[in-house]
Amino acid sequence: MNAAAPQPYTTEDGREIGGVLMEMKNITLKFGGVTAIKGISFDIQEGEIRAIIGPNGAGKTSMLNVINGFYHPQEGEIVFRGETRSRMRPYEAAKQGISRTFQNVALFQGMTTLDNIMAGRTLKMHRNFLWQLLRYGPALDEEIEHRRKVEEVIDFLEIEHIRRTPVGQLPYGLQKRVELGRALAAEPSLLLLDEPMAGMNVEEKEDMSRFILDVNEQMGTTIALIEHDMGVVMDLADRVVVLDYGKKIADGPPGEVQSNQDVIDAYLGVPH
Amino acid sequence: MNDKSASRAIESIPALLARNAVKFGDRPAYREKEFGIWQSWTWSEAADEIRALALGYLQLGVAEGDFIAIIGRNRPALYWAMVAAQSVGAVPVPLYQDAVAEEMAYVLDHCGARFVIAEDQEQVDKVLEVHDRAPAIEHIIYLEPRGLRKYDHTHLHPLKDLQEQGRAASQQFAPELERRTGKITFDDTCVMLYTSGTTGRPKGVVLSNRNIIESSKSSVEFDNLTEKEDVLAYLPMAWVGDFIFSIGQAYWAGFCVNCPESNDTMMNDLREIGPTYYFAPPRVFETQLTDVTIRMEDASPLKKRLFNYYMDHARKVGPAILDGKPVGAWDRLKYWLGNIVVYGPLKNVLGFSRVRVGYTAGEAIGPEIFEFYRSLGINLKQLYGQTEATVFITIQPDGEVRADTVGVPAPGVELRIDESGEIYYRSPGVFVEYFKNPESTASTKDAEGWVATGDAGFIEEGTGHLRIIDRAKDVGKMADGRLFAPKYIENKLKFYPNILEAVVFGDGRDMCTAFINIDLAAVGNWAERNNIAYASYQELAGHPQVYSMIQEHVEEVNRSVAQDDMLSGCQVHRFLILHKELDADDGEMTRTRKVRRKVVAEKFADLIAALYDGSTEIYTETEVTYEDGRKGQISATLEIRDAKVVETGPTKEVAAQ
Amino acid sequence: MDLLYNIFIDPFAQMAATPDFLLQVLWEGFVTGTLYALIALGYVLIFKASGVFNFAQGIMVVFAALSLVGFYEAGVPAYLALIMALGVMGVMAIGVERLVLRHMVNQPEIILFMATIGLSYFLIGAGELIFGGETKSMITQELGLPTGSTVVDVAGGIVILQHIDVAAAVIAAILVAALAFFFSKTRIGRALRAVADDHQAALSVGISLNQIWAVVWFAAGIVALATGIMWGARSDVSFALQIVALKALPVLILGGFTSIPGAIIGGLIIGVGEKIFEVYWGGLLGGGVEGWFAYVIALIFLLFRPQGLFGEKIIERI
Repeated sequence: MNAAAPQPYTTEDGREIGGVLMEMKNITLKFGGVTAIKGISFDIQEGEIRAIIGPNGAGKTSMLNVINGFYHPQEGEIVFRGETRSRMRPYEAAKQGISRTFQNVALFQGMTTLDNIMAGRTLKMHRNFLWQLLRYGPALDEEIEHRRKVEEVIDFLEIEHIRRTPVGQLPYGLQKRVELGRALAAEPSLLLLDEPMAGMNVEEKEDMSRFILDVNEQMGTTIALIEHDMGVVMDLADRVVVLDYGKKIADGPPGEVQSNQDVIDAYLGVPH
Repeated sequence: MNDKSASRAIESIPALLARNAVKFGDRPAYREKEFGIWQSWTWSEAADEIRALALGYLQLGVAEGDFIAIIGRNRPALYWAMVAAQSVGAVPVPLYQDAVAEEMAYVLDHCGARFVIAEDQEQVDKVLEVHDRAPAIEHIIYLEPRGLRKYDHTHLHPLKDLQEQGRAASQQFAPELERRTGKITFDDTCVMLYTSGTTGRPKGVVLSNRNIIESSKSSVEFDNLTEKEDVLAYLPMAWVGDFIFSIGQAYWAGFCVNCPESNDTMMNDLREIGPTYYFAPPRVFETQLTDVTIRMEDASPLKKRLFNYYMDHARKVGPAILDGKPVGAWDRLKYWLGNIVVYGPLKNVLGFSRVRVGYTAGEAIGPEIFEFYRSLGINLKQLYGQTEATVFITIQPDGEVRADTVGVPAPGVELRIDESGEIYYRSPGVFVEYFKNPESTASTKDAEGWVATGDAGFIEEGTGHLRIIDRAKDVGKMADGRLFAPKYIENKLKFYPNILEAVVFGDGRDMCTAFINIDLAAVGNWAERNNIAYASYQELAGHPQVYSMIQEHVEEVNRSVAQDDMLSGCQVHRFLILHKELDADDGEMTRTRKVRRKVVAEKFADLIAALYDGSTEIYTETEVTYEDGRKGQISATLEIRDAKVVETGPTKEVAAQ
Repeated sequence: MDLLYNIFIDPFAQMAATPDFLLQVLWEGFVTGTLYALIALGYVLIFKASGVFNFAQGIMVVFAALSLVGFYEAGVPAYLALIMALGVMGVMAIGVERLVLRHMVNQPEIILFMATIGLSYFLIGAGELIFGGETKSMITQELGLPTGSTVVDVAGGIVILQHIDVAAAVIAAILVAALAFFFSKTRIGRALRAVADDHQAALSVGISLNQIWAVVWFAAGIVALATGIMWGARSDVSFALQIVALKALPVLILGGFTSIPGAIIGGLIIGVGEKIFEVYWGGLLGGGVEGWFAYVIALIFLLFRPQGLFGEKIIERI
């Protein structure tokens, strides 16, 4: 059953949620004989924080990889900003403003924080590399502009002190923050976060939650995130979609989802 | 400007600002690193910003004599907020930014601040939290809008907006501003600073324009500071030293105040700015030296040998060269080579390449640490001061620098030592009063203007240098009548990089004992090199090998203490290593990281009892406060060790009893 | 005793007696080393960008030189031939990316390595088919490269500098500087480093792997062409050259597979080392030391410093 298209609304804390930004229609993804995702449909509204939750192996990361074009579904359609396609390619996804972070931090370990975040601006750079070789005139202006944007991200995430540190030397919590920075540098319209708080202590989790909320609120960025910590999801998300064994078992505001019997069963491991 | 004010001597900070805006108009007054770039403001630009803010204050209704609290880390806009406050006849009250809400509530209520300038959301939240306990607060002005968008803005204003409104309303308020700025005199209050106080409630020290300007003037002349200096402002704005360095002296000499990007980037910013005039408490120098030592431990053998070779040479001749004493040509050549290979690069890494004059104060500095910096050719000196003296009591002149004295009386300062050994002083910098606390004022400052420092010391014969023994009230007597000077012993212990803090007990008892706090950085590094595994601070602190290492340090101190007849009774007989770091959040230290002896003694009474009852271990439970304010319990079984003491004359008698 | 004398005393006595000859040996070694370094550089570029050890790098050197000479022999003016040879390397780079790499994304490294072996046989076949199997000589003069020599008086004797050797050293230096600038200062360079670090992350920020691969293979092709010209000018152009190209392997072990400075210094150490050893100690072992000296050094390095002089330290996080 497809519910009626979701309508724009204003949240309790005064954020404006717009129309549908992305819609996944009947997505099915198979690896050989294994079906990772079975006919899942859901949508993401502009300006909201959308959480994807579910037990291990439910297909959450696969879903994120479909959105961002790492995986190509065998069936189904993706509608992003009104454009329908059967699959994305990572390059196109990035080009259309989809940025992401990874479950196990995927940073450029040998490069500094600054260079990592700068790499996030790859697609914002318009002059080709021959121009860059000149480092003169418009190319130089562009470089300065990019650097300014990157510095804003650094300021936003409060990581000034590690600007010149190779990220490989940073503790895990800070690496996660740098990775978020790299995704933000692309000024995304849709930000995908794969377990942004995995492996963090309480304090780091609180920091990260604050950053996610601030990104959403101040930059108006739509966020889709996978998270295990239910407390965090309940605090952050506007709407939650719950997956289990590759199927969608619930979809709605956090409070509603939390009391759904299927969800409780899935988390308690009731046999199917 | 009318004739009267032009002809009058400069009697306020706003008057100095007006002078500098003309005299040094195009020279930099402030720099701050933001977005990775050093932004700078010239004196005339700074004057313009301050004026805009002052006009904004007037529009907001700031009255003469109002108190304006300022909370945040060192930033140009917050310094402007102070000078702007003075310009409208109000009194700035800078607060410690890491103060918990409790402390903040007391100070805000005590001074009755109507306005608060807060740096960011964190500080705004704190102020809002204590609003019911400091009901006089009417408006909060903030610097960083981040996270504050959704707050109710009826009494909340961004500083930028206030300046904009001030500029817009210039016509209307300019005459009033001129009038208020023009009538400030030497006797008006310049600033009020709350002393953290090792005991009891903080006291508001009222300093007049005379205090600040006279002290700044004479200290600037003492070290020939000019408008070409660069300082790095990184110490708490609520501390009198920062007010003198970053406002008093900066305005008098016209030099530039540089603000770091964040607390964590301090070292990096220090290197980039390369200050010419620098102040740091001993702890900072200690940390840096520990850092260098650790880095050299990990360096390649060649580097290590070069470093050791040239540092040995520097220790031999460096201080003499710095003091301009005669040194042989060969030694000079070797020092010159060393400067190229080791000292120069090292100074650069430490951020001291350009330092002309550096000071340390607040605590005794380890002689090895002090010598290390001096041997590199850094003119590091000591001074002795207090908030109540507007910093300066004694100061070391060039060429008379030693680790064990704090120098001669600063210009204009008279010294007196009373029969109990307590030091008294009188100077133009002597504070006006403790705010709303006449009893304390009277007990500290007598009718003739002499102020008790609370420290015991003596003036060295021949040189006229002052030497400090300890806090006067902490110098006690042991059971057999011998002198007990805990601070003296603690400092000796703390000079070991492995020991972060020490607390010595023994007043009224027959022997001395000690609590030790290990330095996690140094001991952790040592453990790593020696393949000693540990999971927590507590485990490392309790490790038998760590104990043995500390025992060696304690015994070495005992040997050196024994050589001094007066203090030989203070040798540490038994000690233990504490299972937690002494922490300001737990009330065990002040915000300036001085141990609160009484609190520690009460909190760890069971441990002290064990030190004196002969037991070899003790189980204890302690309450701790986490960074977010929650409380928890930790428990541990601590070992207690006996340390060897050197038998001296009187000790033998005691032992024979 | 004689043996010890011949090992520890005599060679040094010789060096001291005829310093001019020592200088000559050092110079020869230096020039050879430069060329080793260039070949190694080709490997490093591709290894950094795709984690593949490109077995075909040696053949690319031959193929590039053959194309150049081939075009010239077909009547194309020398400079145009040079540009066309560059074009061939460009086409090859795009071809390799389109036909080989693109289809092997996410395959194990060994598969990609096998693919480069295939590529090398393809290039040999294509080279022989198009340009014939016989040995050719490099069009040194036609390209405007100097051929004479200069005699320099030093240390009481003379050193002979072949101009072509000087040119080789200079061109190698320029090439290295240009590459270093390209990879450290430009967007493509940053992207290349990003790809080298983490493929997935690079994709997610919108770096096009295909573009990077093509650029890197083209850069390796340019390096190959330069090496081919210089080496060809010193001996001649034939498929036997690929054996020399294998010398890059010990160079890489010395310098680390991912380090450009490592490739250069490794190349120079091997070049100079094997010449000195050959001249002063070679007699003891019956000569031909040059053939295996480099591999022995590499073996020693593998034992004591497997990451090479400049390679990234291998730190496993536990």
